[in-house]
Amino acid sequence: MNKNRLVGAAASAITLTLALSACGNAGGAAAPEETGPGEVRVWLVGTDTPPEARDYLKKTFEEANPGSTLTIEEQAWDGLVDKYTTALAGSDAPDVVEIGNTQAAAFTSAGYFREITADEFENLGGADLLPGFVEAGDWEGKHYALPYYSGSRVVFYSEQVLGDTPVPTTLDEYVETAVDLKTDDLSGVYWPGQDWYNALPFIWENGGYVAEQAEDGTWDAGFSSEGGLAGLEQIQTIMTKGNNAPSDAQETDLQVPFCEGKVAFLSAPSWIQWSINAPEKPEDPDGVPGCASTYGSDLQGLALPGKDGGAAQVFAGGSNIAIAQKSARPDLAMSAYEILLSDEYQSILAGIGLFPAKTSLFEKVDQSTSIGKAAAEAAANAKLTPASPKWADVESQSLLQTAFSRIAAGDDVKTVAEKLDADIEAILNS
Amino acid sequence: MSSTLLDPPVAPSHQEIRQKNRTPYLPWLMLSATMILLGVLTGYPVVRLVVMSFQEYERAQLMGLPAEWVGFDNYATILTDVDGFWTVLLRSFVLMVVLVVITMVIGMLVALLMMRVGKALRLLVSVGLLLAWAMPSLAATTVWGWIFDTQYGVVNNLLTAITGDRWFGYSWLLNPLSFFTILTCIVVWGAVPFVAFTLYAGLTQVPEEVMEAAQLDGASAFQRFRLIQVPYVRSIITVLVVLSMIWDLKLFTQVFVLQDIGGDRELTNTIGVYIYQMGMAQGHYGLASAIGVVFVAVMLAIAYPYVRRTLREDEQ
Amino acid sequence: MIKIRKRLADTGYGVIAVIVFALSAFPVYWMVSTSFLPNNRIRGENLAFFPTPDVFTLDNYRSAMFGQVRAPFPPAVANSVGVTFLTLVITLVVGFVAALALTRFQFKGRRTFIVLILVVQMIPGEAMIISMFRIIDGWQLLNTIIGLTIVYAAGVLPFTVWTLRGFVNGVPKELEEAAMIDGCSRVGAFWRVTFPLLAPGLVATGVFAFIQAWNEFVMALVIMQRPDSMTLPLWLRTFVQATQATNWGAVMAASVLIAIPAVIFFLIVQGRMTGGLVSGAVKG
Repeated sequence: MNKNRLVGAAASAITLTLALSACGNAGGAAAPEETGPGEVRVWLVGTDTPPEARDYLKKTFEEANPGSTLTIEEQAWDGLVDKYTTALAGSDAPDVVEIGNTQAAAFTSAGYFREITADEFENLGGADLLPGFVEAGDWEGKHYALPYYSGSRVVFYSEQVLGDTPVPTTLDEYVETAVDLKTDDLSGVYWPGQDWYNALPFIWENGGYVAEQAEDGTWDAGFSSEGGLAGLEQIQTIMTKGNNAPSDAQETDLQVPFCEGKVAFLSAPSWIQWSINAPEKPEDPDGVPGCASTYGSDLQGLALPGKDGGAAQVFAGGSNIAIAQKSARPDLAMSAYEILLSDEYQSILAGIGLFPAKTSLFEKVDQSTSIGKAAAEAAANAKLTPASPKWADVESQSLLQTAFSRIAAGDDVKTVAEKLDADIEAILNS
Repeated sequence: MSSTLLDPPVAPSHQEIRQKNRTPYLPWLMLSATMILLGVLTGYPVVRLVVMSFQEYERAQLMGLPAEWVGFDNYATILTDVDGFWTVLLRSFVLMVVLVVITMVIGMLVALLMMRVGKALRLLVSVGLLLAWAMPSLAATTVWGWIFDTQYGVVNNLLTAITGDRWFGYSWLLNPLSFFTILTCIVVWGAVPFVAFTLYAGLTQVPEEVMEAAQLDGASAFQRFRLIQVPYVRSIITVLVVLSMIWDLKLFTQVFVLQDIGGDRELTNTIGVYIYQMGMAQGHYGLASAIGVVFVAVMLAIAYPYVRRTLREDEQ
Repeated sequence: MIKIRKRLADTGYGVIAVIVFALSAFPVYWMVSTSFLPNNRIRGENLAFFPTPDVFTLDNYRSAMFGQVRAPFPPAVANSVGVTFLTLVITLVVGFVAALALTRFQFKGRRTFIVLILVVQMIPGEAMIISMFRIIDGWQLLNTIIGLTIVYAAGVLPFTVWTLRGFVNGVPKELEEAAMIDGCSRVGAFWRVTFPLLAPGLVATGVFAFIQAWNEFVMALVIMQRPDSMTLPLWLRTFVQATQATNWGAVMAASVLIAIPAVIFFLIVQGRMTGGLVSGAVKG
């Protein structure tokens, strides 16, 4: 075989494939608008949305649109960006999708979501919708993804476990208490190494930042800033000296160690109280058992204390919700969308302790319990991740998960921080 | 059948028959299904791959925004990315060599063992190998992940029981070195059965008289292995090495799943996972395509001698 | 003396054989054992190494197969079986015909074709996910067994053609020609003489098609997006993602479920395929 033959081989392959390439439909030709009954698929992520809300959505939609059906397909947070990237670009795309608030920009900036016109925006709640979350779903001055709910993390504890130990009132005390309480069988603070959401407050409270944009548009990541390092030191102290959770684990099913009585403080989304307060023997064969009769019975909530007392600035967790650009039935999708943002539906979410998409409904969140009160305090002080469409790539690369796993494993804080900053800047500035 | 094999017929009419069947379109007709399938589902994506490698192609382009031509920008980005692309490429090749060598050595040893032991033990070994071989890689990786689980894994449990130290919570996957050790275990565990079975089948074809004669002449076991058995199965070894190289370079599932359980992606990416991360997870399809093209070019350069040799053999 | 040494050596090899068996089988054993144990006996200091009757439970299987929240199990089985079966049939038939053309005929472009078949195998599949997705999407075949089968068939075919070519080469052309002299037609000669000799080769090649179709999950992830169109690997992954932190027993049960058909398939074809591999390799 001489070289010319090889070239010839390649050339004929290309000719062959060029001839056939007409088969792949590259254009995004929109499907003709249909009316009448149809099928709407709603993608909700994780188990955050309670069954009552799901049932309400389905029932209300099918009553309002006789003959049409609504299916909820539950997605996993893990690998969500990868999946949406193709699923929402295909002809069999779902109609309405939930997306993490920090991930929304990757899709709004790329035309994945249908624009919510100004009229529709007013109709759906307008100025009443959570401003920070509306912003997270905007792109170039237009609305694409509206708030679905927000839920900042609350510190849970059971008095049975805590005993006489006083509840910490500052962040430093929180760290000290965690270290004091820790034994081989008890985590002062239960903190799986990959849980970076819980790490951000320590950075912010110590005067650090995640990433800031300079006037020329370049991003500067701040984990290795003075405040950032101070925060990371505190994080490492808790993770290594006050915690028995695996350094490489994710923050799934946090109620399990809590229900085993092996956790003093657990910082987790407020809805986890229902998982803790679930019966010991779940009816669903798949269900995860809770501990309603033991550690759930005296469950208390606490807003993570700040550096100087009060509530710390915490990460504003939550979701946005959008209509897929490629939805085959935008009319029906909008109908489902209206239900999802309706006062009734949002009140159901408020009922389980999530903060609804509308500020006027905040009062529906039960604030008579310590948990509800803590959730409200935390929400009032919540902050978001950097507003860059590339931030989702930082997340899908698991950069923060890896960095905090390393900190939990006892690696040098400064080295980890500098590497993390370099990686984040490389992505945000690419 | 066997009689035909032993007595090849005198063949006066070869030429005649061949001539008669020289219909030029028939072979192409027989190849047409393959060509259509590959042309459309491999040829076209390859062309797209090359085209995209010269474009700025991100999520927005996937949604129909026209792609901008950027010339060799993507290639420049990739080829100057020492910490990213080159490190990953080097890591993939080193890993491939390690995996192939370990797999082949263990596979050969197991094959020799199967030659040496009695029927019952051979059956026992075969059953073990078959189980390992049949395990789907995704399930296998999940099981290994469970064995090395940080919190409840049996390895940490046994280490705690044996050493008396507390191993619960020790993360095997976070450290790249132990990550790759576990990865090697998983891959080798899954790959040895195929190699061992094939080599064993090859070794059984070595005539017993030859081995016995050599033994009588005073050849040691190692000499017999080196001078008789290896040459006999050389072509099988070649094929196995080539196949293992291709498979180990394209390693994806095991790395991807282990990273998900808790590895440091950046320090453990291999080429397949790196391309996936760049494309599917981060949405840089242009860059991912350029990596793919460069990778194929490197592979072609390496495989060129093999391709040439195969074709020469084919000619004979 | 020599006898004793031989006896000693035999024992030594026997021990090694048992160790080899133990090492290969342990992960499988551990998977099966865990899958029958309740959650409180598979973790911590209370670890059980064998599901004795007092702790034996089928709860993990119940949870894996009939759990409400996750992707449903029965359609995943049906999809996987369908895709695997179709991929096997298509690649073997199409690949076999192509291998025949490449070995039994001399024609212009033959070598070019062989080179292409080889080169194609070097392309990393991950780089082509997007283009594959767009093609299948363009044909409106997302979430269909046909769509995924086509992708798998195209992925496995180069290897199939390449391997089968080796096998067909291994059967001397003279055999067919002899049969033709005896009065068989070309096709008849082929069916009666060559094909039976190729059976082990087809089995060996089929195994690889099976492995690919049964185990693959990245293309499946992109093409099968509805919960009821998932294949078993996707189903397992969803299940693992949702439960691995808490319910390793159920995850292991799910792994057992996906491994059983593969083990059965391998048991059936095992005897035939090693012989086939050798004859293919010698001439390959």
